Amino acid sequence: MTKKWKLKRLLRIKKLHTFLRLCIYFVLICVSFIYLEPILKMISMAFMSYKDVIDPSVEWLPKSPSVQNLVVAGTVLDLKKTLVNSIWFSGLLAVAQTIVSGLTGFALSRYSFKFKGVWFIMIIMAFIIPLPLLMIPRLMMFISFQNVLGFNLIGTPIPQILMALLGQGVNSTILILIFYNFFNLIPYTLDEAAMIDGASPLQVFIQIAMKISGSTVLVVFLFSFVWNWNETYVTGTLVRNSIQLLPAKLNLFDSAFATYAAAGRGAAQFRINEAYKLSATLISITPLLILYAFVQRRFIQGIENTGITGE
Amino acid sequence: MGKQGKVRGKKRKITSFQKRQNKYGYLFMLPWIIGFGLFTAFPFGATIFLSFTKVRQTVLGFDITWNGLGNYIMTFFENVEFTPALLSYLSMIIPYTFIIVILSFILAYLLNKITFLKGVLRTIYFLPVIIMSGPVMYQLLSSDPTGGEMDPAVKYFDIFIVQIIYAYSRRLAITLVDIFVQLSIILWFTGIPIILYINGLQKINPNLYEAAQIDSANAWQILWKITIPIIKPIVLVVTIFTISNIGTFSINPVYDLIRTATENTNGGLGIASTFAWIYSLVVLLLIGLVYLLFRNREKERRHN
Repeated sequence: MTKKWKLKRLLRIKKLHTFLRLCIYFVLICVSFIYLEPILKMISMAFMSYKDVIDPSVEWLPKSPSVQNLVVAGTVLDLKKTLVNSIWFSGLLAVAQTIVSGLTGFALSRYSFKFKGVWFIMIIMAFIIPLPLLMIPRLMMFISFQNVLGFNLIGTPIPQILMALLGQGVNSTILILIFYNFFNLIPYTLDEAAMIDGASPLQVFIQIAMKISGSTVLVVFLFSFVWNWNETYVTGTLVRNSIQLLPAKLNLFDSAFATYAAAGRGAAQFRINEAYKLSATLISITPLLILYAFVQRRFIQGIENTGITGE
Repeated sequence: MGKQGKVRGKKRKITSFQKRQNKYGYLFMLPWIIGFGLFTAFPFGATIFLSFTKVRQTVLGFDITWNGLGNYIMTFFENVEFTPALLSYLSMIIPYTFIIVILSFILAYLLNKITFLKGVLRTIYFLPVIIMSGPVMYQLLSSDPTGGEMDPAVKYFDIFIVQIIYAYSRRLAITLVDIFVQLSIILWFTGIPIILYINGLQKINPNLYEAAQIDSANAWQILWKITIPIIKPIVLVVTIFTISNIGTFSINPVYDLIRTATENTNGGLGIASTFAWIYSLVVLLLIGLVYLLFRNREKERRHN
């Protein structure tokens, strides 16, 4: 009797659990559509023809698909030039940031120097201090430098490379923490073995720490690349429009489009509309989407490895 | 912490070892320390100083003259843009942070309960971190099909509930619709917080849950008595991260204001510094408040 009753109860609990699980899936999948909605909207809009855009019966699927929007948006964005510029610019900054984050993370992980705790707090502070507070003196400093030196700094990537090389690039703190936590996982005995064999600390860093942490280096590089790609505030202040970068160009898309449309192509369908805007946005994020498709796992692991969640 | 280093550091006899530790530690830290001094610590102080001055660019450099509280008086009493922008920043950041911190916890908690499709969903939730930038957000928010001319609530009239609420109170309907329209934007900020929460949730010792279950606690009790107290430090990290993260996007009205003031290098830098300093003070106070809020509670519990 009791056995039967127990079995029944167990079954009921099991049914309840399956039901709950289904509910969870339902909620999570719905939410994931809210996340993707802007991107799906962009993709659908990008392939609409002019007729589809003004046709109220067309919501998602274009009736007469065309790539006209993408072509126009690509021309206005000056895609060939801006894409190449963005890649080398972000790549260069990412290399600089990766190196310095590695060095700093190594110092924090391997050495117990004086005031280490203070420097730790400073590294966190560097993340918290709002950027506008720092940009004005930075700008003035670089303008003063260029007056002294006699050649242009503003409008070149030099100021940002300098800042990245000295550990003050975009989200440097997070990159340092990723390295710091990975280095902590490497057993100290490896360092000791190398040092007994006569390796200098720099050799230990390059030959042991860096060689083991190949995947971490990649993660840090990718994060830095993406963040530098998306960064527009510092770039807008220090580089302005001397180097045409993709996100910055997207920011000026409306006015750039107006000039483009005014230049002899003033037909009605060339009025600014959201299809062009969203196509341009889609173009500007496509490189990042492709990157993410290949290495998404590493990105997520990278954030997990920052170790700010405990220990 | 480098454990080995710490243990050795305690042996005071081997001073040469400690010296080496200091020397090489600082050598490796050197680039960062120089950068921090030059590009973060010095500008921090300089902006505060500049906020009391008038700055004019000359051929040779900058002409800085003391202006006392002039900039502050102008910011608050003469400038018509700054105070409203700051207020609208506050009225945005507080509900946004609140929603992000809670929503990302709920999503992480649910994600942690499932196994199938977990990776895919996590990938989708993290995607915005990669593609989100100021210009992208600007384009998404500005490409409103009605161009903002119509009542935002009217657009959603085909949803029956909206109609009901609209009939009751127009204002309420608009606010609600606004939140739902911006929901995808708000959600885009949850990428990193979700990962942090999941990571924290996974670190909770499953024995604790078992023990609670044996003591006949239900899922709700376990959530409030075990999960949330353990996860609290992560809530602090997430809150601080969210506040400083949202601030850097162009949905932040103060940012644009400071930016335009900064672009005017011939005369605007003083007032731009004042803007920047007041804004940063507000942000830092907000973060400090959050920090104290979570810190105090922890201490109280220890006393009990």
